[in-house]
Amino acid sequence: MHADDNLEMLMARYQEGDSAAASALIYRLSPQLYRFFAAHSGSRADADDLLQETWLRIHKVRHTYRPGEPALPWFYAIARHIRVDHYRKSIRTSTGERKLEAISKTATLPAKSDRADDLAALLAPLSPGERDVLEMLKVAGMSLEEVARATSSTVGSVKQKAHRAYKKLRETLSGVRLGDGQGGGLL
Amino acid sequence: MKNNEIDGVLKAAQAPHGPEPETLKRVTESIRDSLQPVRPLPPRWVLTGGLILICAAVALAGAARAGFFGIGRMNPWERVLIFSALGIFIVLAAKEYVNAMIPGSRRRVSAGALLGIGTLVLIGVFAVSFRDYRTDHFISAGITCLLTGLLHAVPAALLSWLLLRRGFAVNAVSAGLAAGTLAGLAGVGVLELHCSNFQAAHVLLWHTAVVPLSAAGGALFVWVLRLLQRSSS
Repeated sequence: MHADDNLEMLMARYQEGDSAAASALIYRLSPQLYRFFAAHSGSRADADDLLQETWLRIHKVRHTYRPGEPALPWFYAIARHIRVDHYRKSIRTSTGERKLEAISKTATLPAKSDRADDLAALLAPLSPGERDVLEMLKVAGMSLEEVARATSSTVGSVKQKAHRAYKKLRETLSGVRLGDGQGGGLL
Repeated sequence: MKNNEIDGVLKAAQAPHGPEPETLKRVTESIRDSLQPVRPLPPRWVLTGGLILICAAVALAGAARAGFFGIGRMNPWERVLIFSALGIFIVLAAKEYVNAMIPGSRRRVSAGALLGIGTLVLIGVFAVSFRDYRTDHFISAGITCLLTGLLHAVPAALLSWLLLRRGFAVNAVSAGLAAGTLAGLAGVGVLELHCSNFQAAHVLLWHTAVVPLSAAGGALFVWVLRLLQRSSS
């Protein structure tokens, strides 16, 4: 039996105003959504913030879920939208910070990262789209069709991104294995 | 390294922990406080049908005001070919727009690909239908038609936005592109019903241009709107 067999039912009850269904959805989906965010940001604080923001957005647009349709891609589509927005904001902020750094010209050591997991480091060489696809396929365990729905793309495009991602990971991991003999290692 | 070995590395590397319990408690409480029943969006076919009706209504209203000279001058073969192609393009664009406004929808083609392929098909259909290769009043007559088409795309875009305003676009620019494409097709509909200038160059350039220009306008409008929203937040 698929783990999210009755997500659709819970979602329908959530739309009807059932608070138990809302709580069940939050407690059931939050761990995997959290991992989705952690895989991109690598920061626990960021992943927590993004998770909260996602649930608030889900709550606001819960009427857009069509009863009977797969619920998991609907949740991930919104989570991905929140992540992309956050990514854009962080790029703007980091650009501003870089400008400030250039002005002050003070040499500071980078702050120790509160890296939540190794997955973010492992997926770092991939593009955001490839990361999304791989995380949904291999970590969240979604099907190609579900990933295509969640990423608003076609199954063909998902396959292509997954193929590219594997190619890059293979190169990275092979490099790491070769480097292991000289004391290096990614994981 | 094999794919299943990479899968194993990915599984082993994922975060061992979950979200903070306080975070989940906070989220649950804030949602519970504002939890009320909501009416789900209507079925996709209802929304798609609504968009098609809007396009047809705008095209017919526009042509009724300006006159049905174009369709009156066409032979039955041209009527069938042009309006079938336009109809199919409108149905596909309406479906694409509805999908763009419902998160997690199945997509068979992207909004950009639909625009590109649809425009090329329209060009092909026009090229087959119109064989008058003169270019009298090419610019002046062309600009008049282009503006007429784009002006009719505006009410079509507004009405379609009204119909889908409860939706949520996870990719707003793509939704804007789809909305603009659909609105542009309503504009082309007006031109095909009204314009009796059957010079191939005129139809191929000025009539067809309504669709990509309207689509670009839709995408640009949404992009600027989001930029303004971001800068104000």
